Amino acid sequence: MSLSRRNFIKGVIAGGAVASSAGYLFRGGGPLLGQQASAPGSVERLITLTVNGQTRRVDVLKQETLAMTLRYKLGLTGTKLGCDRAECGACTVLVDSVPHYSCSVLTQTLRGKQIQTIEGLATADGVLHPVQQAVVDEQGFQCAFCLPGFVMATVGFLKTTPNPTREQLAHGVSGNLCRCQDYDKILTSLMKGAEYMRRTT
Amino acid sequence: MAGKYIGQNYIPPDHVAKVMGRARYAEDFRADGMLFTKLLLSPMPHARVRSIDTSAALAMPGVKAILTADDLPDLEGAERALTNEPRYAGEPILAVAAVDELTAAAAIELIRVDLEPLPFVTDSLESLRPGGPNARLEGNAWGAPPPGGQGPAAPAPLETIKWTAEDFAAAAPGQLPMGRPLEEWSYGDLDAGFASAALVLDETFVVQSTGHHPMETRSAMAYWQNGKLFIHASTQSVAQTRGSIARWVGIEPANVNLICEYTGGGFGSKGAGAVSSAIPAMLSRKANAPVMMRITREEESYIGRARTNMTGRAKIGFATDGRITALDLFIVQDTGAYGPLGDHRSAGLATSLTYQPPAMRWRAVNVITNTPPRSQQRSPGPMQANGIIEPVVTKAAKQLGLDQVQIRRMNSPEGRAEFGPVLPATGRRNRVTSAFVKDALDRGAALFNWDAKKARAGRRQGSKVRGVGVAVGPHGAGSIGFDSLMTIRPDGRLYVQSGVGNLGTHSVIDLARVAAEVLDMPWEKVEVTWGDTGKHLPWTCLSVGSQTTHAMTRANHAGAMDARRKLQDIAARDLGGRPDDYDVRGERVYQRSSPGRGLSFAQAAARAIALGGRYDGHELPEDINAMTRESATRLAGLGLMGVAKDTYPRVGATYSFVAGFAEVEVDVETGGVTLVDFLAVGDVGTIINPRSLLAQIKGGCCLGIAHALFQKSVVDPRYGISLGDRFHYSKPLSILDIPARMDAHALDMADPETPVGARGVGEPPVGAGYGAVMNAIADAVGEDVFRRSPVTADIILMSLEHGARMHEPLRAHV
Amino acid sequence: MAVIRDPMPAFEFFQPTSVEDAQALLRRYGADAWVLAGGLDSLDWLKDRIKRPAALVDLGTIPGLKGIRDVDGGLEIGAMTTLTDLVRHPLVRERYSILLEAAEAAASPQIRNQGTIGGNVSQDTRCWYYRAGWPCYRAGGNICYADTPESINREHAILQADRCVAVNPSDTAPALIVLDAQMVIRTAGGTERVVPAEDYFVGPGIDITRMTILEPGDLLTAIRLPATWAGATFYFEKVRDRQVWDFALVSVASAIIMNGSGIERMRIAVNGVSARPLRLQAVETLVRGRAADEMTAVAAGNLAIDGAQPLTFNAYKVPLMRNLVKRAIRGVEPATWNS
Repeated sequence: MSLSRRNFIKGVIAGGAVASSAGYLFRGGGPLLGQQASAPGSVERLITLTVNGQTRRVDVLKQETLAMTLRYKLGLTGTKLGCDRAECGACTVLVDSVPHYSCSVLTQTLRGKQIQTIEGLATADGVLHPVQQAVVDEQGFQCAFCLPGFVMATVGFLKTTPNPTREQLAHGVSGNLCRCQDYDKILTSLMKGAEYMRRTT
Repeated sequence: MAGKYIGQNYIPPDHVAKVMGRARYAEDFRADGMLFTKLLLSPMPHARVRSIDTSAALAMPGVKAILTADDLPDLEGAERALTNEPRYAGEPILAVAAVDELTAAAAIELIRVDLEPLPFVTDSLESLRPGGPNARLEGNAWGAPPPGGQGPAAPAPLETIKWTAEDFAAAAPGQLPMGRPLEEWSYGDLDAGFASAALVLDETFVVQSTGHHPMETRSAMAYWQNGKLFIHASTQSVAQTRGSIARWVGIEPANVNLICEYTGGGFGSKGAGAVSSAIPAMLSRKANAPVMMRITREEESYIGRARTNMTGRAKIGFATDGRITALDLFIVQDTGAYGPLGDHRSAGLATSLTYQPPAMRWRAVNVITNTPPRSQQRSPGPMQANGIIEPVVTKAAKQLGLDQVQIRRMNSPEGRAEFGPVLPATGRRNRVTSAFVKDALDRGAALFNWDAKKARAGRRQGSKVRGVGVAVGPHGAGSIGFDSLMTIRPDGRLYVQSGVGNLGTHSVIDLARVAAEVLDMPWEKVEVTWGDTGKHLPWTCLSVGSQTTHAMTRANHAGAMDARRKLQDIAARDLGGRPDDYDVRGERVYQRSSPGRGLSFAQAAARAIALGGRYDGHELPEDINAMTRESATRLAGLGLMGVAKDTYPRVGATYSFVAGFAEVEVDVETGGVTLVDFLAVGDVGTIINPRSLLAQIKGGCCLGIAHALFQKSVVDPRYGISLGDRFHYSKPLSILDIPARMDAHALDMADPETPVGARGVGEPPVGAGYGAVMNAIADAVGEDVFRRSPVTADIILMSLEHGARMHEPLRAHV
Repeated sequence: MAVIRDPMPAFEFFQPTSVEDAQALLRRYGADAWVLAGGLDSLDWLKDRIKRPAALVDLGTIPGLKGIRDVDGGLEIGAMTTLTDLVRHPLVRERYSILLEAAEAAASPQIRNQGTIGGNVSQDTRCWYYRAGWPCYRAGGNICYADTPESINREHAILQADRCVAVNPSDTAPALIVLDAQMVIRTAGGTERVVPAEDYFVGPGIDITRMTILEPGDLLTAIRLPATWAGATFYFEKVRDRQVWDFALVSVASAIIMNGSGIERMRIAVNGVSARPLRLQAVETLVRGRAADEMTAVAAGNLAIDGAQPLTFNAYKVPLMRNLVKRAIRGVEPATWNS
């Protein structure tokens, strides 16, 4: 899908202000529209993202990863960068309910997709998601830098496997690394999260 | 031992923030006009910077400042954040600050650094060879520390040491050559010990280096306000890192405000902060703007610290009943490009303690190489000692026909066991405060069903064979002499200041549980302040080496007792009688004989403020640290102050122990190892926070298991460049590699030399996991299959294939 | 000179909606173009700032490259189908469980959610010298840093090395070879070319800078699985260090169709031992008509490793490959511990 210039301008009006607070990658001027805007399939820098149910207009570089957009453009620092190389899972978010490493997805490829981060799990009035509540109750995780990624991977996994065995759940979150190696307690808390989920649905 | 709070689980106050993604780590902070920095890392393992041409970079739009080693204070030869003589490939030479990271990266690529290559060496044994290269211009090894400086990281002189060709020739293939050591101690009659032995074994073992790799790299963000440095950096020890940063930046500690509420892991690599944090601090001053330094995972693999690798040779004599008669240990330690580190010393002492040889000699050389810098990593030294000694004990038990638990039990320390050499200060050998290792082994063997598992070990089914192993991991577990600071305020609540780093072990909060216990204060009325040196923190131990729980439960016991006495004093003063007539309970201080007569905590707090002086912190004890004094002064007048230095007596050195039991299954056709069952029992004193404690035991065991199975560092020796810069190369343990079943227990037996009875727990499980798994592999496939770790599939398969050890015997970093 | 990583340099980014548009872009940018599928391998190169294309052409927006279709009792799998979608597909499970096993052994769940079958078979090698940007043969230089007595080459090749000793990292490749998969390629010239999976991969002797036969501008669009081996007795095993993320030290895939007590026909392939996944035709011939027992397995295993030339640190791959070939024929006797 390529945005025409007219749609782009309409979108700016409809979507309100452009989010571009801290320019991690690029702050110095530059055209908002790609120079090759007329080529078939070319993309534009100002795009619409749906994050945690909210529509956001964001100025996104072509080489920008979702993790960077979330952390440096949208202020959603709950998503952590542990390796930036798809090797640790700390940056896991849901894209259309499926766990993805946000460090390894170009934001430009996510137009029209639903993105959910750790900040989007609890209700607006602060009621924790069952998996979050289970982690609190069972005191899962130690330093917790890996926690958001583990929780998002679990929430995504439980959508397809709501009643997992401990071993299945371990496979489900096996794309997430914990250097405190609190894996045993993490699994206990996530299993309880699965149980809470089944109770609430 | 359990009380109302001590020994009870609770939900730490930071957990909701953590699960909501609101817990902010260093890289989560932003500031207006924040610049980004990228580092230029040395491509060579050892070189001298001849010149740097930054003109093209500085001409780029958006580039704001460039920082080199010339901008940094001299640290009298100690490691600095940037260098003009890189000593390992990946060492930072300069840093660029620019409006965004892309510009900073592009600028780095425009900078021309003229480097003069210098001789380098990546393997400690190569440096010891006649004519072998020195890793540094000044020498190749750290000598013995001056008298009195026997601490693990005591400063030591640089020396040049080469062994002779004869030294090397004297060692059989695969044996560690033993030339002149630079450090040495001994006790007992070694010759008599060996002479009386029924069996003498002499084995060499290579313990690998591994990167600490906390999930959070050492990113930091800094800015200056009114001449004061504000820095968001990741550290294990908030109170003590303020001074480190001040030293690295060259300013007074009072002018540093360090903020670190959450630390994404450290494992020893962020003990008193990270020297690299000077970069954003200095760049920020130079560019006059906030500077964010995002450290990438690859950079972390260079500057992020690693465990010292050791090649050890142990000659041990055993009596026919398995009792050790003499132990002769030689260690060649690789301390990387910097140091000195004392893992080798801790390894010697831990060996003496864990295996209780009646006669022992320890010799060591602490070699510098052009590989990434080391620091203490969770169980620094004792874990490596487990690696060197355990295979010998396992082999002896096999040859003597003894049970593996039995041989360890009979040689284990008991009570106030002696260890190490005679101390010059006392003329006696040191003792531990307490050891209940035999209880831990007995309880573990029973819970693990050791005998039943042992009965099926070694029998093959299909391509699978099982084995069982046991090991005891020891470690020093507590320091003394730190301070506590707390106030009971007129709102009736207790405010505890905690200078501990928040690594998720919950010791940062646990110390307040002790205060709540002593004062009988409802937990919901306790507020803990932590993570910001601007928030009046007391002088606190480093959260390294399993110290915190011991040190800070003592200090906070003292502080709470001080508050308690002040409550009694005020009550006696206002209501008559002697202070001892008053009890403290139910948020009141009241007369024991007439419980209606008393003051609520809120009233007492108001009275303390009215009375002033020592009651509300306007007069402070003489013996507290200057940092505590500064913090207490700022809190003075807010309520009744409990402030004290831990002066409780302690006789002996505090050590903790964990006994680990493992059952593994080895596939003899692939060499693959599967962990079937694992159990650990901690002899770690009184339990403060059971859930957290058991998680520490399991997590620590997992780190040891990772060392047994896969985790490693790899360096190409010809080019001196690290190759393991990705997790799929360095192989930290995944959730699918943990034991299928994992259980942990703790004895909950109080240490007699500390008021709360608690010892530390972070380190000892590492050696337990490491040793137990390696011993189980040996039990399954033969005790001579390997003499290095990690024991990967290739090592097992090749040994089984050829009926002899086939792996590279001595080379490091493969 | 300096080692600098992570911020990707700027590139143009295109999301064409047809194969034709994609190829037009590839033509326009020539050697400066880069094809993006799941992005795992690609972004790694780009973040390392070693590969620096001027333009990325994303295949993710082209309809028709995704999905699995039932074709004549076989399957046609779009190249952009994710490994997770492949694993979850009932017909894959029913007919080609070996492909499911192989895909499930790849990387990690998140990578399988994002990574595609096309990307899995077309990915570059993970030789740690090459991936770190060392100027080796494969990178256009004239040396192999992994092939010297001091090099650390535990994960490198034991067979068919030619200057370069890197290995192919794909987990699905040996399964596809066993299934006689046909790789559907849209050539730069716009014609369709179909090649058997075993010919899709190239070793250094053919082209030292590439892993597959894809020429610049060529696109792998689909993989067709014929009915030939559907429902056969399959064996797949990947030996690796960690049970997630890690690439195979050695992997094996086989399909056997029995005739009474004898092997009527068999296909077998291994990976992790050479720059390309190897079909072991000599083994296939040897076992024909023999019982799938230990004796056959031993003969096959020994034949499989004929000519293996280990390096300093990878001699274990010889017995490992031999044993995996044996297991592919006679299976693994399960252990029956009581817990």
